[in-house]
Amino acid sequence: MIRAWYLALALLFVSAGTEAQGPGQASGGRSLTEIFETANVAASRGDHPGAISNYLELTEAGVHDPDVYFNLATSFAQSGDYARAILNYERTLTLRPNDDQASENLRDAEKALEEQRAEAEGEATIQRSSSISNAVYGGLSENTLAYALLAANLLFFLALAWASLGRQRNRWFYSQLIAAAVILLFSALGLGVKAGLLRDGPRAVTLDDQLILREGPDPRAQVRGEARSGDRGEIVDRDRDFVKLRLVSGLEGWTPASGVGLIDPDHGVH
Amino acid sequence: MRLLALAFVAMAALPWAATAAAEPEVTVTLDAAPSEARVGETIRLEVRVRARGGRIQDLKLDDLKKYPELEIISHQTVRPMQFSFGFGSGVQMESSLANVYMLQPTVAGTYEFAPAVARVDGRTYRSAPLTLVVRPGPGGIDGSSDLAEAPDATVGSELTGARYDARAFLRTVVEPDEVYIGQQVNVTVYLYTRLRLSPQSVVPSKPSMDGLWVHEDPITRLEFQTVPVRGTNYRAYVIQRSAAFPQRSGELTIGPPKVTFDVGGGSLFDAPQRIQRVGVPVTVNVEPLPQPGPANAVAGRYAIRAWLDRTTANTGDAVTLRVDATGLGNLQDLRIDLPPIVGVRALQPAIRDKQWSEHGKLSGTRSWEWILIAETPGEHTVPPIDLPFFDPDAEEYGSASTAALKFTASGAAKPSQQAIEPVDSRPKPRAATFGPIRMYSALTRGETPVRERGWFPWLLAFPPAMFILVMLGAGFARRREQRSATAGAVQRQLVRSAQNALEANDPRSFYDRIVASITHALDSRLGEAVGGLPHATLRTRLAAEGFDGDLVQRLINELEGADFARFAASGVSKDEMQRCLQRTAAIIERIQRSRRSA
Repeated sequence: MIRAWYLALALLFVSAGTEAQGPGQASGGRSLTEIFETANVAASRGDHPGAISNYLELTEAGVHDPDVYFNLATSFAQSGDYARAILNYERTLTLRPNDDQASENLRDAEKALEEQRAEAEGEATIQRSSSISNAVYGGLSENTLAYALLAANLLFFLALAWASLGRQRNRWFYSQLIAAAVILLFSALGLGVKAGLLRDGPRAVTLDDQLILREGPDPRAQVRGEARSGDRGEIVDRDRDFVKLRLVSGLEGWTPASGVGLIDPDHGVH
Repeated sequence: MRLLALAFVAMAALPWAATAAAEPEVTVTLDAAPSEARVGETIRLEVRVRARGGRIQDLKLDDLKKYPELEIISHQTVRPMQFSFGFGSGVQMESSLANVYMLQPTVAGTYEFAPAVARVDGRTYRSAPLTLVVRPGPGGIDGSSDLAEAPDATVGSELTGARYDARAFLRTVVEPDEVYIGQQVNVTVYLYTRLRLSPQSVVPSKPSMDGLWVHEDPITRLEFQTVPVRGTNYRAYVIQRSAAFPQRSGELTIGPPKVTFDVGGGSLFDAPQRIQRVGVPVTVNVEPLPQPGPANAVAGRYAIRAWLDRTTANTGDAVTLRVDATGLGNLQDLRIDLPPIVGVRALQPAIRDKQWSEHGKLSGTRSWEWILIAETPGEHTVPPIDLPFFDPDAEEYGSASTAALKFTASGAAKPSQQAIEPVDSRPKPRAATFGPIRMYSALTRGETPVRERGWFPWLLAFPPAMFILVMLGAGFARRREQRSATAGAVQRQLVRSAQNALEANDPRSFYDRIVASITHALDSRLGEAVGGLPHATLRTRLAAEGFDGDLVQRLINELEGADFARFAASGVSKDEMQRCLQRTAAIIERIQRSRRSA
């Protein structure tokens, strides 16, 4: 009976994995693969605007692939637009959290932006979001946590049923039960973090420098402060073409949506 | 003797009866001391009712609410009660009620009070009317607060910026209402009321001011001024005050203000009433600055000065250039671009503002601080900086400018760099620091996260649900097992004792055990006691439960045989008892294996 359940579970995971795979679909006469190759050729030749426009064509066609975001970020970085580079490296890391090269490039882009700003203004800081949850769950993808949750859930309740039915129990059994409970809690909390339960809105990166934050969703509303390019924050509200941005520092205000990029591609891409 | 006693009682009761039948003696008075006073002086107003032989029910002076100009400083209610004892007229009760108000008139005038009304034993009594005369205070002031700004006189004129209401209304005053772009507009919202409001309860809401840069002047204390409107005196409170600067030309609208406040609540018996008022929108006509004129001129009047923190420095060291622009107007509009200086690099300036209000006009100083880094040795000159402005009062353009400033850099020349970094310069690419692009991608489309897939919650809920089902099943089975184990033990005990009775050749006891054994088996199987049922009823009951007919017949036969044998046990042989025991064992086994049809 238990074997049958394992088999069913394995089949389910395999089918879930395969349904996510999708071959390149044609877009505007060219296949996605052709667009990707064209973009790569342009990037290799140093034609960053050409590369960016092709990569953006892919993302607008619905491709949300970590490698495409990585290349897009790298093209932005190489053309000096570090804010958009930061945004797309963040997207890469959201989709593939353990991408070391993307992490390294993200740090480089932040450093370059800081240097660029410090050179112009004497000093510079970029507001990054650094929380314990990011440190703990940063290297795990949401899907990994979801599968871990399912597996730990199954193991935990199996062990619990086994214990409750009064079968043979020993030290090994109890350590398994505790481990399953810990993994269950860890993955449930991690999934909640990844799903944004601890946030007030989707994560965002400021794209325009000295982005004015106002008291209301109107260009004539009073100024409350300004955000710098590359600053991280959350979108806590929307009104027509305006979003209410809450920076890591706590500063909050309305600003045109065009000046802000959403990190989670599911929420839409600028 | 009896007649004498009756006469005495009648004489004693006579005054009581007379008192009961008599009208109460009531006096209502309304007095003011003094009846003529100046604004700001204190007047003691007393309304009193005295009743002899009656019960005071009420005392009212309604006209007091008519005059908010007469501020009540204190209010005291006095209710002394007096009993008088008289041999001739019996016991008489005298009572009185007085309301004493300490009033402070705020506005000169004549205040007519209608008679105070008292109710005693259901009847109404009135005082004489009263007239209070209040003359202007010393120096001719009429009691108006000199702290609050006076709104326009409205006597006989059209009330602009307001929707009139006899009790309370809001008025928005815009001064001036025709301005140039960037010129200050003073927006003041007044609350006109004849009600005695509680200042702490006043909650104003800001009117919308689209197209205007607004500098709020917070109201820290609610002051009022008495203003006549359509022949009636109102208290006018300033509830909002702001300096607004139009940011575009055309007709700008200032939205309707709102306010809520409480009136009444001065005593336990006077519950406060929440009042809400909404004003009307007002418009401001904004014109562009007159042409021809400097393109970057701002409205206002400014003076400008500049200085360097030192005049000599080593090449590569920083010199601070500070420019202060001080004057009337909106500092947010001020922009200064530092002209390029050959051989000097200038960093982005730090900007600081300091603002204050002077005679209702917003003034202030905006300071710019540039860090200048001399990259070549020699004398460097900061060229004059111009700040063109348009003075709306004089309706003419002006300009403030600084003098040229010089400083000298000494020491070896630094490597040549861009002298002035253009504000909108594109940053230099840093291609070397970023890794190579990736030549392969699965080009996956946005896949639904696992947690959002339809099967995820079901799969997540499956183990706990199964666990609960398993636990329920196990519990049920355990309970059944326990019950059957107990029943089995009893059954075995009964059969053993029947065996013992057989060995002891005690037929009566034997058949007792046989009957008990069968009955117990039925009780356990059916979950209820059937021992007391007649055999016919038992047969019907077992048939209804779906027991096999043959089993029922055998069971009834065995019970009847055992009953018969119990009472005629002397003739039963041991062999017969042995057979009976075997039959009983077979019946019990069939009972335990049988299933109920339902």
